Amino acid sequence: MRNKLFILLVLVSVVLASCGTATPAPQAIPSPVTVIQQVVVTPTPGPNPEAVIPNVEANATVTFWTFWLSPTFDQYIKDTIARFNQAYPGVTVKWEDHQATFQDDLKAAFAAGNAPDVINLSVGEGWVSDYATQGLLLPLDKAVPQSVKDVYFPGLWSEQLVNGQNFQFPWYNFVAVDLINTQIYTGTPSKDASGNTVYTGGAGLNTADFPKTTDGIPALCATIKQKTGTLCDIRLTVNDLLSQMVYEGNVKVLSDDGKTFTFNSPEGVAWLQMYVDMVKAGTVDKTVLLADQDRDSLNLFETGKAAFYQTGPNLIRDVRANNPGLYGYLAVVPAPVGKSGVGGKGGMGISVNAKTKYPNAAIALAQFFTNPTSMVAFSKLVSVYPSSPSAYDDPFFSAPSAAIEDSAKPAAKDYISKLADIVPAVPNKADVNAIVLKHIQDALFNNVSAQAALDAAVAEANALIK
Amino acid sequence: MMPLSRPVNEHSRARGRQAFENALIYLILTAVGLVTVFPFLWVFFTSFKGTADAVYSVPPQLIPLHPTLANYVRVWNLLPVWRFYLNSIFVVLSVVVLNTLFSSLAAYPLAKMKFKGRSAIFYMLLATYIVPSALTAIPSYILAVQVFHYYDHIQAVIFPYLATVFNIFLLRQAFKGVPDDLIDAGRMDGASELRIWWDIVMPVVRPSLATVAIITFVEQWNNFFWPSLMLPTLANKTLQVGLVAMQGAFVSDSRGIAAGVVMTVVPMIVFFAALQRQFIQGLTGAVKG
Amino acid sequence: MTKKFTLTPYFFLVPAVAAIAVFVLYPIFAVVYYSFTDYSIVTPPIWVGLRNYQQLFHDSIFWKALEHSFIYLLVTPTLIILSMVLAIIVNRKLPGISAFRAVFFIPVISGSIAVGIAWRLMLDTNGIINGILLAVGALKEPIQWLAEPALTLPLCMLLTVWLGAGYYMMIFLAGLQNIPEELYDAAVIDGCSSWQKHWYVSIPGLRPQITFVAVISSLAALQVFNEVFTLTGGLGGILQSGYTVVYYLWQQAFRLSHAGKASAIAMVLLVITLLFSVMNIRLLESGTEAEA
Repeated sequence: MRNKLFILLVLVSVVLASCGTATPAPQAIPSPVTVIQQVVVTPTPGPNPEAVIPNVEANATVTFWTFWLSPTFDQYIKDTIARFNQAYPGVTVKWEDHQATFQDDLKAAFAAGNAPDVINLSVGEGWVSDYATQGLLLPLDKAVPQSVKDVYFPGLWSEQLVNGQNFQFPWYNFVAVDLINTQIYTGTPSKDASGNTVYTGGAGLNTADFPKTTDGIPALCATIKQKTGTLCDIRLTVNDLLSQMVYEGNVKVLSDDGKTFTFNSPEGVAWLQMYVDMVKAGTVDKTVLLADQDRDSLNLFETGKAAFYQTGPNLIRDVRANNPGLYGYLAVVPAPVGKSGVGGKGGMGISVNAKTKYPNAAIALAQFFTNPTSMVAFSKLVSVYPSSPSAYDDPFFSAPSAAIEDSAKPAAKDYISKLADIVPAVPNKADVNAIVLKHIQDALFNNVSAQAALDAAVAEANALIK
Repeated sequence: MMPLSRPVNEHSRARGRQAFENALIYLILTAVGLVTVFPFLWVFFTSFKGTADAVYSVPPQLIPLHPTLANYVRVWNLLPVWRFYLNSIFVVLSVVVLNTLFSSLAAYPLAKMKFKGRSAIFYMLLATYIVPSALTAIPSYILAVQVFHYYDHIQAVIFPYLATVFNIFLLRQAFKGVPDDLIDAGRMDGASELRIWWDIVMPVVRPSLATVAIITFVEQWNNFFWPSLMLPTLANKTLQVGLVAMQGAFVSDSRGIAAGVVMTVVPMIVFFAALQRQFIQGLTGAVKG
Repeated sequence: MTKKFTLTPYFFLVPAVAAIAVFVLYPIFAVVYYSFTDYSIVTPPIWVGLRNYQQLFHDSIFWKALEHSFIYLLVTPTLIILSMVLAIIVNRKLPGISAFRAVFFIPVISGSIAVGIAWRLMLDTNGIINGILLAVGALKEPIQWLAEPALTLPLCMLLTVWLGAGYYMMIFLAGLQNIPEELYDAAVIDGCSSWQKHWYVSIPGLRPQITFVAVISSLAALQVFNEVFTLTGGLGGILQSGYTVVYYLWQQAFRLSHAGKASAIAMVLLVITLLFSVMNIRLLESGTEAEA
């Protein structure tokens, strides 16, 4: 059997071999032909226009924490990181999103010595100065080239300064608006006998008449309470009361030499008195006035129990998700401006950990996320606004839009360019704020006069920073 | 036992009085019972209310007219409720087993052995008895974050409870009640102390072990302060911490919160109802002399 | 007759003693040290001597918290009386009585957090408590239960009583079942009425349980946290009306990052619990001695 196979194999090989060797056919003598060779030259790629930070460390690994952006913006963040890697190849980015426990996690991470390199911090709530005063953040003025700094609105770059230094890349901003529940504010529309639209069940107010300045709010709340029995959903910025005093009441909170507190001035008393009067008149909901997080008061509005609520249009998507019915009769108006005439400060920033092992890579990442290209992409997803003038040149911002979330778009650039941090750097801010909160409660709820409460707060705060 | 010489009217009067007393008792118990369960009833019904049913209205509406499971779905999708349960069960079982073990091991020599340093250790333990748990939180936090590196890990809520002085003392009392003859007999037989402890002494103190286990169980199940500091990630939270997170996530969404509360409470009630007798027996062994 | 041992006892003791040494003993020394420092946990501690204690002495909020913690002790006698009465009532063989016992235990089994959250829902300005009171005409306008400073602490205490009654009732029940029947018979023969029976027999017979409940409940009252945390949404109540010592400690340490000041508060708390425990141990000792 094996022999037979062997013979078969030999035969096959012989056959195959004979096939392989063909006698060469006689060749024609080739005539000279000019062959034009196409040489494809790949142009050397020029420098990526978005790679603006020099000396980024090779093989760096940076951790990046964002605040409450997942899962909605997962794809956006991942895409931006991918683009970042094209600009700065060799840097690995580890991204984590933290939500309700962001501050707790961050403090524990700092305590453990493994805090993230790049951190998304709220400028609006004052977190940047909180961490900068403890020496935990990297000062950016010297570390960042001037050409890069010039990309941002100057008012936004110099925010939350500590000892005159800036610690954040301004990221995305909110345009303060008031969301109005037209069912309560105006009423439910229906047609009467003559075909006119009449509104029933509401306060009968016109959204165009919404107060343009904050001192119009008490009267509004009184009207709403009287006509509909609903209380106003107003939240004091309990974590940064002095800042609210400055913007809303144009109060000078600190002396020029930074050594004495001065918020018991007539302006300060007037500001506090406005809220005391509202509480006494019973026109505000006491349970949310001092709520710890913005979301608590937002939720009160979302369940349809409040006539209006001041927030950013980006949270309209929250309303839409939680109460689609309310979304149907939502109106948006610009938020009233305080006596200072300044709309507010920036929203979110990105800071760098002072002890990061890769400062340039970290700065590069922070800068990349805040640059015009990344920001325009972000703004297209949700109603937040960039911190750089050149971003607004994108046609997206001048295109008209019907959705209610975008109603702030046309005026955004103007509004954002005017944002400024007009609050002086307050020493021992967290403790001073606790003192102010304690005494304000005395005025609001304990029949202490506003003047006496603020005097006591000033005295205690001065003793603290002595 | 009624002596036969008692007149008949007194007998029936006594019975009538007894019946009246019983009725009164049932009335009081029902009233107190209603007050006790009312919050649960309300939460239970609220959890099934759809958006058409008013949660807040005057006069209040208890029973939903359009019952729905949407609230449960919403909570289930947003929060890992089953993980909260798993974490809690794991933690509570681990602590109950290990704590009972270590405490009973420690209680034995303190009750039944003479050795150098016994008084010192006894008084040291007595001293730590007075320490409030809130006090230990700050250094334990730093230990967890900087030394043991188990911040945000489940071990963080198990390790601090591996032994408690209360349990050691309770078991020491129980061990003291074991007759010396039993132990001496074991020793004369040449058994190791560990043998004696496991085979001879432990079975005798079983009721106290049950008490310790149940007290520890209830304590750990209800534990909030320390776990809230140690478990920020949603998936790692124990049930009580997860409940607060749920309240934070739903804030004014009463139906959602109600559904969440029902989801976390009902299984426990069912569990307790099934093991009611053992539970109560074990608990009441706590104060026997 | 106990043998004298050398190494074996230590093997038995090591796991428990090690755990307690690390998690209870070491923290005492650490907290003593921290109480003399300014420490934010994130940055290393800085020695400041007695400053934290001085600040505490002048801190009106701290004294308010202390006051609230002592007021909270009122739950102890309330619980003792309520649980004892309940135990006496359910200590009889009536059909369905064990169902009632189980029902009273439900709050214990549900946990203080779940119950606190449920209460918070009910006490909402638009909640069912107001709803019922308005419907029956007891109220003209809804009360903002959770925003009235005067109501915060009483509501927390009510919650504690509501939560604890079933637990302590079980303990008293066991005690009652241990009282020999003969004592009651003797009382009846002596001419005691129903409630006199309890006054002269049950209550004295329950002395060890009363002591136990008093100890546990008072120590818990001084260190209350869960009820305050849930009912005030973590904020301590308007005008600090819900602040207790442990709440204030938590806030200072973990919200404001003042671990030094919080440690000073912890030391004060330690002194308080020490005094209470000494008192309790004395009572326990005399109680068991009297029994023996």
